[in-house]
Amino acid sequence: MTQVFHPAANIIARLSIVVILGGAIGTLVFFDALQRSPYVTEVNMPREQIVPFSHKHHAALGLDCRYCHTSVEKAAFAGIPPTKTCMNCHDVIWNEAPILEPVRESWRTGEPMEWNRVHDLPEFTYFDHSVHVNAGIGCADCHGRVDEMPLVWKQNDLYMAWCLDCHRQPEQFVRPRDQVFNMAYQKPANQAELGQELIEVHNINTANHRLLDCYICHR
Amino acid sequence: MSPITDTPQNTPASIRAALDRQAVAERLNGKTGRRFWRSLEELSKEESFGTMLQQEYPRFAAEWDPMHRRDFLRLMGASLALGGLTSCTRQPVEKIIPFVRQPEYLVPGKAMTYATTMPVQGYGVGLLATSHMGRPTKLDGNDLHPASLGGSDSLVQAAILTMYDPDRAKTVKFKGRTNVKGWKDFYADLDKEMAGFAETGGEGLHLLTGTITSPSLATAIEQALETYPKAVWHSYEPINRDAVYAATEQAFGAKLDPVYDVAKADVMVSFDSDLIGSGPGHLRFARDFAARRNVEAGGMNRLYVAESQMSITGAAADHRLALTPDEQEKLARAVARELGVAVNGATDTVHADWAKEIAADLAAHRGSSLVVAGEHRAAGFQALVFAINHALGNIGSTVSFIEPAAVRPGGQMESLQALSDALGEGKVKALFMFDTNPVYHAPASMDFQNKLRGVNFLVQHGLFEDESSEWCHYHLPGTHFLEAWGDCLAYDGTASIVQPLIEPLYQGKSALEILHRIATGKEASGHDLVRNRWVKSLGDSLAWKRALHDGVIANSAAAPVQPGWAWSDTGPAEAPAQSGKLDLALLPDYSVLDGFYANNGWLQEAPRPITTLTWDNALLISEETASAFDLATGNLVEVGSGEGMVRLPVLVTVGIPEGAGVAHLGYGRTKVGRVGEGVGASVYPLVDPASPFRASVSVTKVRGRHAFALTQEHHSIEGRNHLRVGTVTDFQNDPQFVWKLDEYSAKYGRNENAPSIYPHPHDYSQGPQWGMVIDLSACIGCNACMVACQAENNIPVVGKEQVAIGREMHWIRVDRYYEGRSAKVEVHHQPMTCVHCENAPCEAVCPVAATVHSTDGLNQMVYNRCLGTRYCANNCPYKVRRFNFYKFADHETPSLKLQRNPNVTVRARGVMEKCTFCVQRISEGRIKARVQNRPIADGEVVTACQQACPTQAITFGDIRDPMSKVSAKKESTLDYGVLSSLGTRPRLTYHARIKNPNPRLAAALVTES
Repeated sequence: MTQVFHPAANIIARLSIVVILGGAIGTLVFFDALQRSPYVTEVNMPREQIVPFSHKHHAALGLDCRYCHTSVEKAAFAGIPPTKTCMNCHDVIWNEAPILEPVRESWRTGEPMEWNRVHDLPEFTYFDHSVHVNAGIGCADCHGRVDEMPLVWKQNDLYMAWCLDCHRQPEQFVRPRDQVFNMAYQKPANQAELGQELIEVHNINTANHRLLDCYICHR
Repeated sequence: MSPITDTPQNTPASIRAALDRQAVAERLNGKTGRRFWRSLEELSKEESFGTMLQQEYPRFAAEWDPMHRRDFLRLMGASLALGGLTSCTRQPVEKIIPFVRQPEYLVPGKAMTYATTMPVQGYGVGLLATSHMGRPTKLDGNDLHPASLGGSDSLVQAAILTMYDPDRAKTVKFKGRTNVKGWKDFYADLDKEMAGFAETGGEGLHLLTGTITSPSLATAIEQALETYPKAVWHSYEPINRDAVYAATEQAFGAKLDPVYDVAKADVMVSFDSDLIGSGPGHLRFARDFAARRNVEAGGMNRLYVAESQMSITGAAADHRLALTPDEQEKLARAVARELGVAVNGATDTVHADWAKEIAADLAAHRGSSLVVAGEHRAAGFQALVFAINHALGNIGSTVSFIEPAAVRPGGQMESLQALSDALGEGKVKALFMFDTNPVYHAPASMDFQNKLRGVNFLVQHGLFEDESSEWCHYHLPGTHFLEAWGDCLAYDGTASIVQPLIEPLYQGKSALEILHRIATGKEASGHDLVRNRWVKSLGDSLAWKRALHDGVIANSAAAPVQPGWAWSDTGPAEAPAQSGKLDLALLPDYSVLDGFYANNGWLQEAPRPITTLTWDNALLISEETASAFDLATGNLVEVGSGEGMVRLPVLVTVGIPEGAGVAHLGYGRTKVGRVGEGVGASVYPLVDPASPFRASVSVTKVRGRHAFALTQEHHSIEGRNHLRVGTVTDFQNDPQFVWKLDEYSAKYGRNENAPSIYPHPHDYSQGPQWGMVIDLSACIGCNACMVACQAENNIPVVGKEQVAIGREMHWIRVDRYYEGRSAKVEVHHQPMTCVHCENAPCEAVCPVAATVHSTDGLNQMVYNRCLGTRYCANNCPYKVRRFNFYKFADHETPSLKLQRNPNVTVRARGVMEKCTFCVQRISEGRIKARVQNRPIADGEVVTACQQACPTQAITFGDIRDPMSKVSAKKESTLDYGVLSSLGTRPRLTYHARIKNPNPRLAAALVTES
C-alpha cells in the first residue's frame, strides 16, 4: 500500500492549524476592531440634515446653547428647537435663502421638520441631561467642540465603557457650574483637587460608587 | 391557539377527596401546625398541587419540541452567526421631530399631570392623568376628590387601556359598513328625521342612556325634550340602584341617596353590601374603613358582614356569616327587634346569638355605628336597615341623605320595560342609544333583539361596536372620557369636570355633542358646552380654571337633607329560598363590571378577588352545595330560571351560603373585540325584571368539562409562616406576639441578626435605602396595585392558556389565604412582590450578573444582560420573578405603543423581570432632588402600587431616615419579614393582620362548636 499523503502534507496540516487558529483569532480581532471603528460607531462622521445647520456659524454669532436646547437644564431631553425658534431670526434675515426653504415650508404648512439623530443611545439606556448639566458636566465633555462643527458629528462612541469612565471617577471631569456651557473650557492643572471640591459643592453622591449602580441608567 | 387540556386538579375525584372532611379536619387541627390554606386541592394534598409547588414553571418541558443534537448545533451555529452579524450592523438612523410651534409649559420628555374625572356607571371618580408628550399613559386618584382621595381601583387603573384599545369603533358605520362620508351623512340623515319629528312634537322619538349625573348632559336632554315634547327619555343601567330609591321612598317618602361616613363608625354591620369593594363611593369608604384598622393607633372599628357572596367587604369583616338574602333579612329583623324597632311578624333566625351580640354592640355605639344593606337587596329590606340606623340615632351622624346625584333616579327597570313595550307596540320611530347595550344586558323577557327591528331610525353610540349595534342602522363611534369634555357628579354630589387629555383617537364624538345636535340642530364643541355651563354657574372663568386645575368644583357636595321619617314595617321583602333550587346571586364582576370592560385584557387577567379566577366567570358554589347537587369544579351545568337558560361551568369555592350560588354578570360577550369575545358565559338571560340580582334556578349537570385559569396555587411558598394574623386581644396581651408566631423571629426579633448562608458584602450605611411596608390590616385585596403596576411598568397580558400554566406576568400579586373551613372561613390577603432582599438568593446564582444589588438596597434587574437561564427564579424563595416565555409584549399594535410608560423598558422574549420598586420613579425623584441640590424628601418617591392603594396599605421610603414614615412603620412590633428566618433580610416587610372580633361572639362560637 502506497502512502496516501505526500510528506509535504505535514506542512499543509501544520499550516492549516495555524491558519484556522489564526483565522479564528483574526476574525475576533477584526470584529472587535470593526465594533470600535467609526464605520459602526459613526464617530467623527458628520450626519446629513434636512437643512445643513451649522452650529459653528451660530455659536460664532454668540447664541447660547440654551437658546435652542431649552430643556437641557430641566429635563432628560435637551430639546430640539421648534420651527418657531428658527423663524424668530430667519423671518427677517436670510429669509429668502434657498437652503432655508425647508424651514419656511415647515412654517407655512405646519408640518414639522425631521432631523436625523446624531447621538442615539440604545432604548434600554435612560440618559438625563438635566442631572449632568447641574452636576457640572460640560456640553463639550460629551459632545465635543460642537461650536466648531459645521455639521454635527459624534465626538465619542457613547459606549457603556465610555460612560463608566466618568461615572467611576467624576472628580476627573466635573467643572464649576458656570463653566458648563463654556465650550472652550480647559481642565485646570489642579483638576483632582478641584474635582473633589466640586463634588462636595454640587452635592454629587458618590458613596459606595453609587454612580455605578445599574439602575442609574437602566430601568 | 390550542384548547387547554383538562387539568388534573379540577377532576371530580380530586374535589371529592377534598371533601373528605375528616382527613382535612385532622390536617387543619394543627397536626402540621398550619392554619392557612390556598385551595381545596391543597387541603386534599392533591398530586397536581405538588407539581405546582415543585416546579417554578409547571409544565415548562412541553415547550421543547423533540430536537436532535444536529438540529440543535445547526440552529445554534446559525443563531451565533446571525447574532455576530447583527451586532456589527450600524444603528439605523432615528428621526427627531420637533414641534413647529411648541406649546407653552410643555417640556419634551417631562410628564404632565391633569385632573379629570372618570364616570363609572354615571358616577364620577376624580382622577389625575399623567401625560407624556400628549399621550395619557397612567391614571390615578385625585387627592382632592371626595370619591377617591387619591386612591383608585382596578377599573380606574385599567381605563387607560380601554382608550387605546385597537378594537374600538373607529368610524361611523351604516348597516355595519364603514360610511364613506361619516358624520356628514349621518347628520344629513339625522336632519331629515328630526324635520319629521319637529312636525309631530317628537312622537315616537326615544332616547336610551345609562345613569346620568352629568349636569351638561342633563341640560342637553332637557333641551331635546323641550324641542320634542313628546319624545321619551329612558335610562337603564344593568347594575342599577332602583331598590335604593324605592327603599328611601318607603322610609322617607322621597328618593334620596344615602351617604355614609365610615370614618365615624365604630361598629359596622353589612347585609350583603359590598361597601368597600364596589359601587359609587367605595374608594372613599375603603379609605375611611382602613383608617380605623390600626391597632396601634387604637379605636379600631368592628365589621360584621352577612352576605350571599364572598365579597371584598366580607373578606375584610371581623365576623362574617354566609347567608342567603332571606336569612340575612331574618337576622336583620332580629337585630331590629332587639334594638326596639317596631317590626311585625316573625323575627326568628337560626343565628339568634349573633343577632343578640350584634344588637348589643350596636346599642353600645348609638350614633357611631352604621348598618348598611346592599344596594341590590329588596327595597323593604333596605328600608328596614334605614329603620335600624334611625333607631340607633345614626341618621345625621354616620348616615346622611342627599338629593340624588342622578338626574332621574330610580325606576330604571320600569323605564326599560316602557321602552320595550313601546317597541313591541311599534310606537318607536327613532331610537338613539348612548353608551348602553340593551341587546346584551336587558332582561331576556324584553326581547330587544327582535323588537329593535321595527324601528325606522336606530342609532347606537358607544366606544365599541357591540351586540346592539348589529341591529342598528348607524353605529357612531363614541369617545373615551380622556378624549372629550364632560362633567359628572360623585356619590356625594360633588361635581367635577371630565377634562380630555387627547383629541379623539378615531372619529369619535361624545354623547353630549350628539345630544346637543339632536336637541338644537346645531353643532357645538363639547368644550364650549361644558365651559359655558360652568362659567355661568360658577360666575367667572377664573373659577372654571380653578375647577379644572383642582379636578373638583369647590364645595359642590350636596347638602344633607333632613327627611321626614315615614317608615312602617311591611314585613319580609326577600322571598324565601325555594327548596330543590339554587338561590343564585347575579352580581357585578370586580373586573368587567356589567360587561363594559370585557375587552380589557388587564382586567380580564387580574385574578378576581377571593376566587383568583381569570378570563372567566363561573357558577360559584360552596363545598356543601356541591355535594348536595353532586357537582365538582369544572363540571358544566345548565342553570335555568323562569326567564332563560344558561350554561355555566362550576367552580367550588368557599364562603357562599349552602344552597346558594353566585354568578357574575358581564361575560359571554359576543361582539365587543378580540379580547372579550367568548370569555365566560352571559348570565343576563337569567335576570328577572322583578328581582334582577337574585334568581331561583334549577341546576342540571350536562356533559362536558371546563378548565379554569386560577392563580390560587401559583407561586405558593409551601408550609412557611408567611402570613401572620392575630386579634386585638392578642396584641394587647403581648405587643410582640407577632414575632412569637415564628420560632426564628421569637429568637431574633425582626430577624436582622439571624444567621444567613448568604454573604453580606454590601454597605447600606449611605444615602437613601429604600424599603417598603405593607399593612395587612389595611389591605382589602382589591387588585388596584396589581393593575397599577401593569400600567406603570408596561407589563404584558399573556392570555388564559398561559395563566393556566402559571405564566402570568404580574409583578405584584395578591395572595389570598383561607383560614378555617366552610361557612366560618376567613379570608386574608397578602400582596406579594419582590421583597428586595438585602442578601438576595437570586443574585448569587445569576451567571451573567444580570441581577445585582444597588447601593441603595434595590435588587436590580438588568434586562439587557439577562440571557434567560431562570436560575434566579428557581432560587427565589418568594416566587416573585416572571419570565417572558414568549414575546408577550405587543411591539406592533400602534395604539398600544402610545400607552406605554416611556421610562420603562418593554421587555423582549427570554428575559426575566420583576418588581423594581418603581425604579423609574426613584430615578425621577433622585434626579429632581439632585437638580435642585437637596436630598430626596420623604414621600417624594411613591411607587405605583402605593399610589393606587385605596386604603394606603403600602408605605415606601428611605429606611435609613429615622424620621420617614416607612421607618416609623418598621419600628412597629407588628412588623415582620416573610421568610426572614432565611437571613435574606427583606426590604419589604409586612404588618400582621389584626382583626377586632367581638370577644363575646367569639366565645359564643367556641361553645357552639
